[in-house]
Amino acid sequence: MSSDSTIRQRRVPGGSGQAGAYDQDGEDHVNTVYQNPRARSQWEQLLDTPRASMAVVGVLTTLAFALRFYKINHPDQVVFDEVHFGKFAAYYILREYYFDVHPPLTKLLFGLAGWFVGFDGNFTFDNIGDSYTENHVPYVGMRAMPAIFGSLTVPAVYAIMKESGYSTIVAAFSASIILFDNAHIAQSRLMLLDAPFIFFMSMTIYSYIRWRKLRYHEFSVEWWSWLFGTGFWMACTWGSKVNGVLTVVTIGIAVLIDLWDMLDWKKNGYTMEHFWKHFGARAAGLIAWPVVLYLIFFWFHFTVLIYSGAGDSFMSPAFQETLIGNELLMNSQDLHYYDIITIKHKDTKVFLHSHPETYPLRYDDGRISSQGQQVTGYAHDDTNNHWQIIPTKSLPDWHQARIVRHEDVIQLLHVNTQTLLMTHDVASSLMATNQEFTTWPREDQTRYNDTLFHLEVVDGVIAEAWKSKSSHFRLVHVPTRVSMWTYSSQLPEWAFKQQEVNGNKNPTDKSAAWVVSDILETDAPVDLENQQPKEPKKLGFFRKFAELQVLMLQHNAGLTASHPYASGPINWPFLISGISFWTENDSQKQIYLIGNLIGWWASVVALSIYFGIVGADLLARRRDVYPVPDEVRNRLWNSAGFFVLVWAVHYLPFFLMGRQLFIHHYLPSHLASAMVAGAVLNFVISETINFPVSIAGRSTKMRPSQYADLGIRGPVITGLFIFALFLMFMFLAPLTYGTPGLDGDTVNAKRLLSSWTLHFAAKVTDGQS
Amino acid sequence: MRPDQVHIDFGTPEGPTPRTSDEYEQVSYPSTHNHDHQHHHTTHTHTHRNEGGNESLPLHYMSEETARRRVAKGPGNSGGFMSGEESEKDMPYDDTGKDVYSKMRPGAGVPRVSSGRVHRPPPPPPTSITEYIHQNMDIVTPIFYTLLSCWSRFRKIGLNDHVVWDEAHFGKFGSYYLRREFYFDVHPPLGKMLVGFAGALVGYDGSFQFESGAQYTENVPYVAWRVVMSMFGVALVPIAWFTAVELGMSQFACHVVALMVLCDVGWLVISRFILLDSMLLFFTFTTVFFLAKFHNEQHHSFSFDWWMWLTLTGFSIGCVCSVKWVGLFVTSVVGLYTIEDLWEKFGDLRLSNRQQIRHWGARITCLITIPILVYMASFKLHFMILNHSGTGDAQMSSLFQAHLVGNDFATNPLEVAYGSRITLKNMGWGGGLLHSHVQTYPTGSEQQQVTCYHYKDNNNEWNILPRWDEPAFDPNSDMRFLKHGDIIRLQHGPSTRNLHSHEVAGPITKVNYEVSCYGNATVGDYHDYWVVEVLDDIKQGKREHVEKIHALTTRLRFRHSTLGCYLHAGTVPLPQWGFKQIETTCIKENDPSDAHTIWNVEGHWNDRLPPADATYHKSPFLRDFWHLNVAMMTSNNALMPDVDKEDILASVPTDWPLMRLGLRMCGWGDEIPKYYLIGTPIVWWGSFVAIIISVFVLGAYLLRWQRKYVDMDAHEWGHFLYVGKIAFYGWFLHYIPFFIMGRVTYVHHYLPTLYFAVLMFGHVFDHFFFSSRRLSTKTKRIVFGVVTFLIVANFWWFRGLAWGMEGPINDHWGLQWRKSWNIYNI
Repeated sequence: MSSDSTIRQRRVPGGSGQAGAYDQDGEDHVNTVYQNPRARSQWEQLLDTPRASMAVVGVLTTLAFALRFYKINHPDQVVFDEVHFGKFAAYYILREYYFDVHPPLTKLLFGLAGWFVGFDGNFTFDNIGDSYTENHVPYVGMRAMPAIFGSLTVPAVYAIMKESGYSTIVAAFSASIILFDNAHIAQSRLMLLDAPFIFFMSMTIYSYIRWRKLRYHEFSVEWWSWLFGTGFWMACTWGSKVNGVLTVVTIGIAVLIDLWDMLDWKKNGYTMEHFWKHFGARAAGLIAWPVVLYLIFFWFHFTVLIYSGAGDSFMSPAFQETLIGNELLMNSQDLHYYDIITIKHKDTKVFLHSHPETYPLRYDDGRISSQGQQVTGYAHDDTNNHWQIIPTKSLPDWHQARIVRHEDVIQLLHVNTQTLLMTHDVASSLMATNQEFTTWPREDQTRYNDTLFHLEVVDGVIAEAWKSKSSHFRLVHVPTRVSMWTYSSQLPEWAFKQQEVNGNKNPTDKSAAWVVSDILETDAPVDLENQQPKEPKKLGFFRKFAELQVLMLQHNAGLTASHPYASGPINWPFLISGISFWTENDSQKQIYLIGNLIGWWASVVALSIYFGIVGADLLARRRDVYPVPDEVRNRLWNSAGFFVLVWAVHYLPFFLMGRQLFIHHYLPSHLASAMVAGAVLNFVISETINFPVSIAGRSTKMRPSQYADLGIRGPVITGLFIFALFLMFMFLAPLTYGTPGLDGDTVNAKRLLSSWTLHFAAKVTDGQS
Repeated sequence: MRPDQVHIDFGTPEGPTPRTSDEYEQVSYPSTHNHDHQHHHTTHTHTHRNEGGNESLPLHYMSEETARRRVAKGPGNSGGFMSGEESEKDMPYDDTGKDVYSKMRPGAGVPRVSSGRVHRPPPPPPTSITEYIHQNMDIVTPIFYTLLSCWSRFRKIGLNDHVVWDEAHFGKFGSYYLRREFYFDVHPPLGKMLVGFAGALVGYDGSFQFESGAQYTENVPYVAWRVVMSMFGVALVPIAWFTAVELGMSQFACHVVALMVLCDVGWLVISRFILLDSMLLFFTFTTVFFLAKFHNEQHHSFSFDWWMWLTLTGFSIGCVCSVKWVGLFVTSVVGLYTIEDLWEKFGDLRLSNRQQIRHWGARITCLITIPILVYMASFKLHFMILNHSGTGDAQMSSLFQAHLVGNDFATNPLEVAYGSRITLKNMGWGGGLLHSHVQTYPTGSEQQQVTCYHYKDNNNEWNILPRWDEPAFDPNSDMRFLKHGDIIRLQHGPSTRNLHSHEVAGPITKVNYEVSCYGNATVGDYHDYWVVEVLDDIKQGKREHVEKIHALTTRLRFRHSTLGCYLHAGTVPLPQWGFKQIETTCIKENDPSDAHTIWNVEGHWNDRLPPADATYHKSPFLRDFWHLNVAMMTSNNALMPDVDKEDILASVPTDWPLMRLGLRMCGWGDEIPKYYLIGTPIVWWGSFVAIIISVFVLGAYLLRWQRKYVDMDAHEWGHFLYVGKIAFYGWFLHYIPFFIMGRVTYVHHYLPTLYFAVLMFGHVFDHFFFSSRRLSTKTKRIVFGVVTFLIVANFWWFRGLAWGMEGPINDHWGLQWRKSWNIYNI
């Protein structure tokens, strides 16, 4: 079925000089056969009808729903990250503020689903394995939401392939890789972000392709709709997970390439005006519009969450005071001179502490201390945590003037020992580069200057009052410009293993922030109004949004703690290891996130073939050999190339990330690789393609149509492949659904790669014990 | 895209001329060219030798209007300046090659190269002295710069008679070569050998200790030594000049580059002491120079010059990598250039297969093999010179150490027996000796610690004793040699406790079992038993051939007889309570390929056995070479920023281009001359701005190219790209990797990077001013004058940083150009 002269040379070597020697023999052959759709094989004709296509997609979708909803009520316990996302849904229902690194769209949907099925929010999803039924949580309804999205991903993939001009059978091939994939199914059946995220992502790709196909109908209504449709789904993708940024980047790269082509004066002859019009349209549809949507998601987020909750402490004091019932809002008070207070370090939550014991004269490493009184950080309540604010200027009588303000110079008196906090140019006990903190008797004026501290309220404005609870502040030593600082490092036995406090030479270090925890005594008249609940303050939406965005980014980068199931990106495509989501010891049940080995490895093979073909073609062209016809090559570059771009952009950045990574981060890339697999399958079994794919406009240069014909091979190969996929799926299904329970030997059998860490494996009897 | 088909029928002479002068006629030609064009129309066989000269290229005379034209769809669609090879105007039409797409045939009457230096015809003989000088300006100017460079480098070079900055390291390493003691350092040896060599030249005997900040004693001729070392720094200036010339920059631009190299206080101050950086810079500069030279030979492939410059490039790469690994960055610049070059060659269908293979072979030989040989030769020399035991012994394998003069274990008894006192060396790269000391674990069992330690002391010694259930060792009984499978007890020499393991999690690596020392000479239990497993022997071969266990060569593992785990010393250091020694545990996994579980007997003492033959042991060079390189890599990676210790000297890459931080190079007291490592601001800031500008300029040109404007002719564009690429790749590859590296970085890491930024500065100025067709010579002179003045004046302002500032630092006024510099004492 393949055309016999696939390798054509542009010029006849040897200088025969016959310009006509080059002809289009091979191409003509292909053209005559496939320009007529009726000349295709019967199978192709049968399958390519809209009705057959509908039937195929119908079957696929039904199966997708069946596989994802099968025993969705099992287990009736909290599984893996449901701990987080279930909890967040509950917070939406209770309207309590929480903090998470991911944008809110999917979590809002979970909240909505929970509210819809009557969840009252009074379950905290504390531990994996907590029972839903005992706590009367309508979890099935909440799990149905991602399951629906997960099921719809399958027809979405089918539609993408179909719209890209592939045969029904190729589209079915790609879709079934997703349909029978254990990882996608496991991820869709639980309250996790990935299934909606992946659905939104595939819809973005779908809309983009639809829009791209309309490129000869620029600025038509349809064109605008699909442009804004792409923007809409893009915003949804980005709004449901941080990784959605990668989808935005993908579309961005594709659009930039497109715009670059459009600039080509020789090819299109567009004026710059025309170009700017196109540029403006894309800016509106793919930047401005998604940004507005993204903001709207956050607007909902802030509008729903109006009560104080678990996420308060992440936010700045100004933000916290907008939440009803927040502790800062309730208890924050102005501080006055001579108040006795306790001071807490913001990050490590220890109190500033001192006790009569002194630093040892000589440390183990031979350095020498001042032998002054120890100043440490102590985590528990103690009278040695009490400090009094001493003014360094004369104070008028009225109490308003006794308020301590931003940029005042103060002294801190340790109440129990009546000594003043001070620091000097002596190396601290643990860090030779930092200054030692100690105290000095109050009466002794010789070291007066060393006891002066400059009070800097973080983000403070001039003359802003220093407040308990809500003002984060730094104490900067006046003579030496070091900032009082502590970090989680214990002093030795001589300081009762309390935390070291020292002077940080970078006075604006972020971790040098402290906060006044309590006011124990004050001369100021007690504000009676304080006893009544205060009105929450207002803060502009954009300020809230900006603050939350920055925090999300910081925390996302900060997720570096090691996790037993974290894995490196290089392992993912090969399914080297999975994640244990949930186990039940009695019945030996386990949910283990692992993909369908056949589907994943086929995708990897397809990617390798793709790179092989493209690389070989590039090399051959360099040597003036043209092995692939132009139309087919264009399809490889533009269609399959776009899928490869999606794959690469959703995969390669993980190699640069320092945060903990899991195999489910590969699922979007796996989806793209399934589409690449379809394109490669088409290329490998037939060199025919459907052409043109884009919808012709008036100015389009018409070229003869071609039709793809996979013949009987297509259905047979796809059928066999799907069968294999299905067998593998069934084999791994107990790990995906977490039921039925498995005995040890079965577990061993299902451990296809030795790197999978399955529970309940039987002891291997050989080898040493 | 495949270019359209072109129908050229050369068979009919009267037919339509391919690529007629229609396009040429869009520009007005100097009248002298008319003749040439007549030629065009009549015969096509004529090769246009007359067009060879630079002057005769018509597009140079394009006026502004014509320069901004779009190219019509001519034959081959070869418009635009990207397609340098396809440009119409200098396409030689010869009969033999009808392929109009191909490149110019090398050397076939086309003397001009597409980028790089323009070759000029030799001048007529001079008639007067001034003319003679004028004709030889290309020699006179660099000589002048070299003299200036000597003056600036040598001036007051001995002012500070203390050990300045890293002289403490490199002077010390140089001394080791003179004393021939083996040491260990993270840098390859070439630079330090040259330091040692320079020391030997000036008559230094290697006896000085090089304590940081110490005063030089009389027997250290430090002034002469510094002078020799600064020769490398002197050479930077003329090399920079010649490189700029070879890169085809205009005279003005060459001057600017040379002046910037001459007047940067950073390069100046780093060249004036006994340091490696001047050599690193020198070889970086030479690599770029040789590459530019080689590029200019591109149309004379396989000529003598071509081979010479290619070989020298490879040699220079070898040298730069043998000084510091940072040299790999300049190597990758050469690599990128070569890949691009070969990709071009690969597409050149007129090269025969044989030629293709020769091209590839030449690159592989000269740019891969030669550098590797140079690198290995430097190590060979290193091992040959350092044949005495010294501070670096422990980093090497026992077998290597056995050869160092001053180590006795080559003559220790060979065959290990019960009752022997031994030390055990871990065979992981850079592994230490099994060690124990009286301190106990603060966690776990709280028994005596067992660690892995790199230095020699008594606490590394262990006695091989039989099990508790066997008769106690009797020194007078028959010799009983150790064999594979024996179950033994290892008794720690000084404390007499037994090496012990039990089901307690390791102190750091919790998945492994803890290894401790327990009991004493009489107290113990079956947890003290270790099974000796022979893996193989370097001399005797596989386990089956190993009859007796030999010191140094037999590779052993120790399996705990009850737990089944293996004695293992990884790379994890213990916290302060373990003195940062290496954690030693018992690993459950049985992996014979894990070098960290493999041990060999290093020291061996047994009075009843005869000493071994010292010549029996031989350490293969390649093994030592590899071992040392892995050890260097490991320690280099271990130079992590210590969070506990804020290093005031360290800086991050973002600090460098804009010089946020400088570095005090010596004590800051009033009485000693002070040096501050920071660049001349205008050189650093200006060159960084040039890099930024170049990116935007390239972007703008690309956009215009896509809109099919022609701003430059093909050669000009090719040249613009070639120089820009060398400078930008160089800068990028020398800068960005520092962001990825985990190790501590210092401001002097930017010094090689700066060179490429300076080249870019010259290139950008060349492009916009000195080679501009729009500006008059007078304007160019004014621009040049201003730039020169700024550079020199700026240098003069900061000269004290490099020549030494005497007296109280706060008396030197006006140096604090950025708040973050710590020049002054506050």
